[in-house]
Amino acid sequence: MLEQIARVMFWLCVGEIAARSGLLPLPAPVTGLILLYAELAVRGKLPDDLGILADRVLQFLGMLFVPAGVGVIAYLDLLKAEAVPILVAVIGGTAITLLVTAIVASRLGTARTTIEKQKLDELEELARDVSI
Amino acid sequence: MSAFSQLTDLTWAALAEKPALEIGATVFAFLAGTRLSRLSGNHPLLNPTLIAIVLISLGIEATHTPYETYLRGASTINFMLGPAVVLLAVPLFRQRATIRASGRLIAVGLAAGLPTGILSAVGIAWALGASPQTILSLAPKSVTAGIAVGISEQIGGLQTLTIVLVIMTGITGAVLGPIIARLARIEDPRVVGLTMGIASHGIGTARALQISEVAGAFSGLGMGLNGVLTAILLPLIYKLL
Repeated sequence: MLEQIARVMFWLCVGEIAARSGLLPLPAPVTGLILLYAELAVRGKLPDDLGILADRVLQFLGMLFVPAGVGVIAYLDLLKAEAVPILVAVIGGTAITLLVTAIVASRLGTARTTIEKQKLDELEELARDVSI
Repeated sequence: MSAFSQLTDLTWAALAEKPALEIGATVFAFLAGTRLSRLSGNHPLLNPTLIAIVLISLGIEATHTPYETYLRGASTINFMLGPAVVLLAVPLFRQRATIRASGRLIAVGLAAGLPTGILSAVGIAWALGASPQTILSLAPKSVTAGIAVGISEQIGGLQTLTIVLVIMTGITGAVLGPIIARLARIEDPRVVGLTMGIASHGIGTARALQISEVAGAFSGLGMGLNGVLTAILLPLIYKLL
C-alpha cells in the first residue's frame, strides 16, 4: 500500500514541479492524474492495492471540499454588493449548463449507440428464432 | 484544486498548531452529512458536503472561532485533494473501454457544455447588471479551482472571487445534477457523470462517484477535459472580443 501512496505522490510531485517551473500551465493534481493514467495505460494493468486505495479515498472525496466550502462562507462579504446577479448567474447558469449538456449529449451523443443497441437486440432476437 | 494554496504552504505551521479539532470537526461533520444523506436515500438536496459546510459554519459562529483559525487547521484536508484528484486516474483506467467507445458522446457533451457553462453565467450576470470584473470572475466558474484561478488572472477577474464562485458552482451542480437528470429522464450514467463533471468539476464528480463508478469516471473525464480546453479557449475568446 505504501508503494501505491508513493506512486500517487510521485506523479503529484512531478505535476507540482511542472507547475512551479512554469513548464505546464496546469495545476499539479490535473497533471498528476494524466501522468498516472498514462503509466497505467503503458503497464496495461492496475495494481490491486492502487485500486483499493482509490476506492477508499474517492469514497470521501466530498469531504475534501469542506474546508474550501467553509472558506466561501468566510468570503461571502465579497458577494454582498452584487449578491443577486451572482447568485442567479451561479445557480441559474449551472442549472442551464446541466440541462443543455445532458439533453444534447444524450440526444446527439448516444443516438448511434441506441441504434446499434437496437440492431444488436434485433440480431439477438433473430438468433433466438433461428435456434428455436 | 487547492482553494487555499497560500494556506497549504503552512502545513508545518499547522502541525505545530495541532489542528486536531479542526480536522476532527470536519470529519465528524462530513460523517453526519453522509449519515443524513443515506437516511434520506441519497436525496440530492441533502448533499453530505453541503451539510458538513453548514454544520462547520454554524459551529464556527457558535464558538466565535475566527474563520482563519479553522481554515489553517483544516488545510491538511484541503491538501488531500491533490492526491485524491490524481487517484481519479483509477476509475478512468477501469472504464477505459467504455470511454473509448463513447468518443462521440464525450465530444458532443463538451461542445455543448463548455460554451453553455461560460455563456449562461456571463449572460445572466451581464443582463442583471453585474460589474465587468464580476463577470470576468464568473466566466471560468465551471472549471476546477486550480485551473479557474489561472484563467481568471489571465482575463482580469478577481482570483479570490473566482474561487468562491467555483466552489458555489460545484455545490450547485452536485445538488442539481441528479435532480435535472431525473427531470430530463436521462438514466445513462455516462451522460449524467459527464454532465456533472463539465458543469460542476470535482464537487460534481464526488457526487457522481456516489451514483456509480461509470458516472464517476465520466465525471472525472468531463472535469479534466473541460478544465484543459477552457484554459486554452477562454483567454483566446476574451482576446478576440
